Amino acid sequence: MIGRLLEQASRRAESADAAVKNDETVTLVFESGRLKSTAWSQERGVNVRIRANGRLGFAGTTANDPEALFEAALASAAIGDQVDLILPAPSPLQAVRTHSPAAAAASVADLAALGQSLVERLSHDGWQVSATVERSVGTVRVANTRGVEASYDVTAVSLSAEITRVTGDDILMVGDFCAAADLPGEPGVAALAESIRRRVAWAERPAAPPRGELPVLFTPAGTGALFLPLRQACLGKAVLQGISPLGGRIGERAFDPTLTVTDDPWVPGASGSRAVDDEGVPTRRLPLVEGGLVGGFVYDLETAARAGVPATGHARRTTFGKPQAAYSNLVVSPGECSWEDLLSKVADGLVVDDLIGVGQGNVIGGAFSHPVALAYRVVGGEIVGRVKDAAVAGNAYELLGRIAGLGRNVEWRGSLAAPPILLEGVSVTPR
Amino acid sequence: MKNRLRDALNSSRADYTEIRLERSTTSAVTFRGPRLEGATVSTDEGGFVRCLNRGYGWGMASFTSLDDLPAMVARAHELSLAVRLDAPIRLADVPVREADVTLPLGGDVRGIPLDAKKRHLESLNALMLGRDRRVVDTQAAYRDEVVEYWYANSEGTMLFELRPEVTLSAVAVARDQGTIERALESLGRRSGWDAVQHREDQFLAAADRAVALLGAPRVRGGTYPVVLDPKLAGVFVHEAFGHLSEADFVYENPQAREMMTLGRRFGGPHLTIGDDGSAAALRGTLPFDDEGTPTRNTVLIQNGVLVGRLHSRETAAKMQEAPTGNARALSFRHPPIVRMTNTYIASGTGTRDDLFRDVKLGIYACDAQGGQTYLEDFSFTAGHGFMIRDGQLAELVKDVVIAGNLFQTMDRIDRVAGDFQWNEMGGGCGKGGQAPLPVTEGAPHVRLSEALVGGSVA
Repeated sequence: MIGRLLEQASRRAESADAAVKNDETVTLVFESGRLKSTAWSQERGVNVRIRANGRLGFAGTTANDPEALFEAALASAAIGDQVDLILPAPSPLQAVRTHSPAAAAASVADLAALGQSLVERLSHDGWQVSATVERSVGTVRVANTRGVEASYDVTAVSLSAEITRVTGDDILMVGDFCAAADLPGEPGVAALAESIRRRVAWAERPAAPPRGELPVLFTPAGTGALFLPLRQACLGKAVLQGISPLGGRIGERAFDPTLTVTDDPWVPGASGSRAVDDEGVPTRRLPLVEGGLVGGFVYDLETAARAGVPATGHARRTTFGKPQAAYSNLVVSPGECSWEDLLSKVADGLVVDDLIGVGQGNVIGGAFSHPVALAYRVVGGEIVGRVKDAAVAGNAYELLGRIAGLGRNVEWRGSLAAPPILLEGVSVTPR
Repeated sequence: MKNRLRDALNSSRADYTEIRLERSTTSAVTFRGPRLEGATVSTDEGGFVRCLNRGYGWGMASFTSLDDLPAMVARAHELSLAVRLDAPIRLADVPVREADVTLPLGGDVRGIPLDAKKRHLESLNALMLGRDRRVVDTQAAYRDEVVEYWYANSEGTMLFELRPEVTLSAVAVARDQGTIERALESLGRRSGWDAVQHREDQFLAAADRAVALLGAPRVRGGTYPVVLDPKLAGVFVHEAFGHLSEADFVYENPQAREMMTLGRRFGGPHLTIGDDGSAAALRGTLPFDDEGTPTRNTVLIQNGVLVGRLHSRETAAKMQEAPTGNARALSFRHPPIVRMTNTYIASGTGTRDDLFRDVKLGIYACDAQGGQTYLEDFSFTAGHGFMIRDGQLAELVKDVVIAGNLFQTMDRIDRVAGDFQWNEMGGGCGKGGQAPLPVTEGAPHVRLSEALVGGSVA
């Protein structure tokens, strides 16, 4: 289909490119500790972009009809914006592992056994255990009228579990997940179960929330709210629109010198890894923050063309819509502190594992204010129990400007890798 | 298509089989600042099969190729047999129905050229850009969809629906030196081209609010009496109460069932809450849910007492209650799960100003930017707010985030005004990886005697 599309395009348009994604996914859902449903899904989608009379047009479909798709792209281009978009020429690619033959070969029974093992490890009186195992096998093809013709196989395995414990009107929900190209194996399953059990143990007793500007230790899972503003501010489009607080500041100090955040598409088997992006641009490692200095921004071809900078290999395409820049794997470099070191620095404060409402509001500005979903009171360097009725607030840029401690162990969750981070002066308000 | 569905159902060896097929056409236009991001028409098609066998679990298959429906049915049947269950899954009875329903198209979007859609949005976007030099960025989006939808099951139900939907959204970003603020306005209806006409005021309001927020102070964190405007009260009822009333949370959890026992008191006699999938032309409105159950108005809290909950056929059978038509799927890529439709707080008495009157120091929280529930704990973010001082509306404040515990907060609703409205916003609800599902919320102004408002402690 992609060949026929591009052949049409070379006759009736100046240039064109397309991405075709196919995959088959098996999803097993465990409810109340037992396998409840098994689903198989097949998806095929084509996304095409053409440039005709200098104007860009886009179209996408799941139907197998290249002529109709091309006509839709032409119609889109007829009223599209004029852009001097230059598609990439073929170039050598880094070898990046995105596929695991063992994961691709796993049977439904193998996947069910993984889930069963996870559920059994979490089996406990009064705990409602739910879990999901998902495995998808697919291919990605990217091609353009300048001769790029890249194709690679992908596997993705994700495992997630959640326990719910209801005691009177008190509800505790603790979950975690892992995702990668490979099967997690028994050690991975054990680590996931242990990560959930450890938090339930921390939450065993209730604790009164503290008040004030306090030290707060964010677990790797809890760092989402901290890095979301950075993720938005380093998008090339935000910089181009003049709404990024980091725009125009490459090489300037914006964060604590211990902070380094890299977009790394080359991590073997990580869920965001790939050698080539969905516009045919080779991927590369890109420091967003390097030793506290602003390092770089991520671009797709069109945004790069408008900004007058090179594309960075970050385009993502779904079947519908147009290519957009997105991160591959975001890796926060570790520091030197052990978990115990970090905890011992907290005389009175919180460990934050999960917040409610992350992503709402004026994220790019850096200000956040969230009630805690899962947080624990720390007194004299020891976790004393779960804090429920409290909100934490601050400005992510200011807080990351003075990091009090960075953990030495990085944890992967899907495409984010981060160590625990200790910040000082986080506003904590009890309810 | 109906013959293909019948043939596929007849070929099934499962005890119960259902099939959904969808074919959709979507137009989308987006502006970013003064530039057109894109204008395009997309087509999407596919299907979903679900099979159940006695003593076994669900087997499902979803696919984007409609060529080989019987093979997909066979696959779902095999997957069902892969799951042995001790306690069998039962489905509550619903009447067998054959129906062809075309929802009112409200100006069929399929007859409007893409260029006209682009020009319409361009003029609305230009209103934001031209309003104030401090408006440095905008995002304006138009999206419409008409879905041809078929549902059939082995009990004999056979439905065809034409489902329209249209959304319009405006984001204005204002900047003054280092301060950046944004304001959002949106519209969503199960309707068509007519619904997006005469929307100039909404786009201007987004620009004005983003600019006004530049000079507004952050709200000072603490506990206040809070009056919620209808938009935020709607998000509150959805987030704080609606999700707990979804029966899939309680049906297999004895402790949760106890917590949500019908007859439990959840608030004062002035509080009535429900969910109505049969209301007219709202985003959550449909004649049938994705299990073929007719939608209806389900009262959840009547005068402060828990009287109902939202069900699929499976949760209804398990809890020996009636199915409510709340099994919904985002698309053919997903199974139906228990979801809200149009959720509301029923109208009370009095006006907004009546609710302000005896508040010495409080907050009037307006406009929902979003909300999230963590079961009994929730958070929602207001687009903006005002202080209430000595019973009067006072200065604009920003970064108003309200957090609370469901049980406490429901008890603290001390006034419900008589100015109910449906909030026809865009956006949608997320659950179980299915987002954004079109839903609507409605409410009058509502007062909380006390709520935690996030912000700086300084």
